[in-house]
Amino acid sequence: MSVAKTGPGSPGITLGSDFRSTYATLLILMAAGAYAIGARVLGGLNVTGLTSITPWGVWVVFYIFFVGLSAGAFLLSTLIYVFGMHRFEKIGKEALLVSLISMVVALCFILLDLGRMDRFIYALWFGNATSVLAWEVRFYMLYILLLAVELFYAMRPDLVRLRGEASLRGRLAAALTRNRDNLSPAALERDHRVMRVLGALGIPLAILGVHGGTGTLFAVVKAQPYWNSALFPVLFVVSALVSGTALLMVLHIFRCRRQGRKLDLDLLRGMGALLLGFLALDLMLEFYEYLIGAYRLEAAEWATLTSIFAGRYAWSFWLIQIGLGAIIPVIILARGSRNSAGNLFLAALLVLAGIMAVRFHIVLPPLALPQLPGLPWGHYGPTWVEWVSSLGLMAMGMLLYVAGTNFLPVDGTAEDERSGNNG
Amino acid sequence: MKDNDQVHWAMVIDLQKCVGCDTCTVSCKAENRTPPGVTYNVVTEVEMGAFPHITRVNQPRPCMQCDNPPCAQVCPVKATYKMENGIVAVDADRCIGCRYCMVSCPYGARYFDFGQDYGQEMAGYNHLTTPEYGVNRGIRKKGKTPAGTVRKCHFCLHRLQRGEEPACVEICPGDARYFGNLTDPASVVARLAASIRAMVLKEELGTHPRVIYLK
Repeated sequence: MSVAKTGPGSPGITLGSDFRSTYATLLILMAAGAYAIGARVLGGLNVTGLTSITPWGVWVVFYIFFVGLSAGAFLLSTLIYVFGMHRFEKIGKEALLVSLISMVVALCFILLDLGRMDRFIYALWFGNATSVLAWEVRFYMLYILLLAVELFYAMRPDLVRLRGEASLRGRLAAALTRNRDNLSPAALERDHRVMRVLGALGIPLAILGVHGGTGTLFAVVKAQPYWNSALFPVLFVVSALVSGTALLMVLHIFRCRRQGRKLDLDLLRGMGALLLGFLALDLMLEFYEYLIGAYRLEAAEWATLTSIFAGRYAWSFWLIQIGLGAIIPVIILARGSRNSAGNLFLAALLVLAGIMAVRFHIVLPPLALPQLPGLPWGHYGPTWVEWVSSLGLMAMGMLLYVAGTNFLPVDGTAEDERSGNNG
Repeated sequence: MKDNDQVHWAMVIDLQKCVGCDTCTVSCKAENRTPPGVTYNVVTEVEMGAFPHITRVNQPRPCMQCDNPPCAQVCPVKATYKMENGIVAVDADRCIGCRYCMVSCPYGARYFDFGQDYGQEMAGYNHLTTPEYGVNRGIRKKGKTPAGTVRKCHFCLHRLQRGEEPACVEICPGDARYFGNLTDPASVVARLAASIRAMVLKEELGTHPRVIYLK
């Protein structure tokens, strides 16, 4: 196998780009997170601010946030591999990688949240056909498997080209492509077919199974009228598209800047346009969800909406979810092709913060209400263990991303140019 | 013939007889030795009307033992399930502590065992646990089941098994609680459940509670 080390045929990453400060920061955060997780393992859920009135807290919030990021990033990748939108080709593999990592982080969050972490495998061993959660757990597993296989096939030609490189990256590539180093046109064609099929299977899996399913998990709960709406699963999928697109933009711009690479503004503006479209749809659905919920005048839902619009959560709703997370990004993104990479970065980052607020406002407000008049109200406030462990897990995800993009050929390569030439 | 043998436990609570003394709550805590934060039974007090035309309703709230239990519906591992005798049980050895059942219960009747105890204020609290569901777990220790799982009222199943009434029913000073077999039309609970005063909580949710209140 001849290996091209330079020129248009080789993956464009330069190893040794300066991520040292990033790694150091992430490792410090992870060490703090590990300490908090240790406290949680030893102390059980007693170290959290959770109670029997508010049994779900920030870990569940971040779990649905990261499931959404994963589903959104994956669906973006299907635009390329299934629907042939080669305009976004450059970011396809990165999208799959981000999707995979986000899903792993999401599962870490929900593992941390289990009262009996030691029994996590029961969730797969035992089942319940009427439990959305039981279905979800299985969908998550299938989905992770599918993401890993699809990512492998997307990277295979580049991995094969990297085999000869005398570096950790080269050895990793050689280990991954043992017995799979055929780069003949027929083999490449087969790879593309596999990816199309996996991507096509992944679409219903990601929409119905993974994130629509996570929305369904909430939507079926009739004890919480605020969640109990058929629009909820749809809203989850659309907000997943919003947050997944935004996350990819943020990570891509951050990494390219750090690696001193030239940013593809056309690509980023295209993603910005997508983000604007998704965000507009998301805001519309949210508006209907709130309007119809409020119009029912059902006591519990009314109390929940009041706490969001004018109560405990008013500051985060109006300031973060609506102001910073929606209005400002819409204004920036609407400028279209006049946007610089910095503007797009800012808009995407704000959107991410906004969707994180959305997740908080989904989980926490209804769980403060007593189920019957006369029962106590919940006054949940996360403890340092919950915050620090969450930061640690997010740092772990970021570290996986930085390392993954350093050691795996996720960037634009000869493959892209081939489809570019053909297309 | 089998149908005639069937026992379907049910409880009737007469709200006009309840004086809100909380004896049921205390007796439940003593009987089930529930840890801090876990109270299978509570009595809610709701004031109604405006001064001076004011009245207060005391409403005991055990688990409703629904015939369509939303908690059992959502449990991912079938740790919570409906028994043939009508009781909604929790298998503490299977529960993974995800607390999905807790957010799904329309009556707030489920409690998470955070592993706390009364060891500080009550010597010997940890030396003995109640054999809930007939399972003897010996001493209560940190991290040992049922700590980390979800708990709830089980109509004192361990007492039913030896022919006794649930602790709250036995102790009620005002005799506001009745307990029996709802499938037996001659039973007190079946006759009271047919009363015009009978009602259940959040009937519109279709959970079919087996705790019936007399208004």
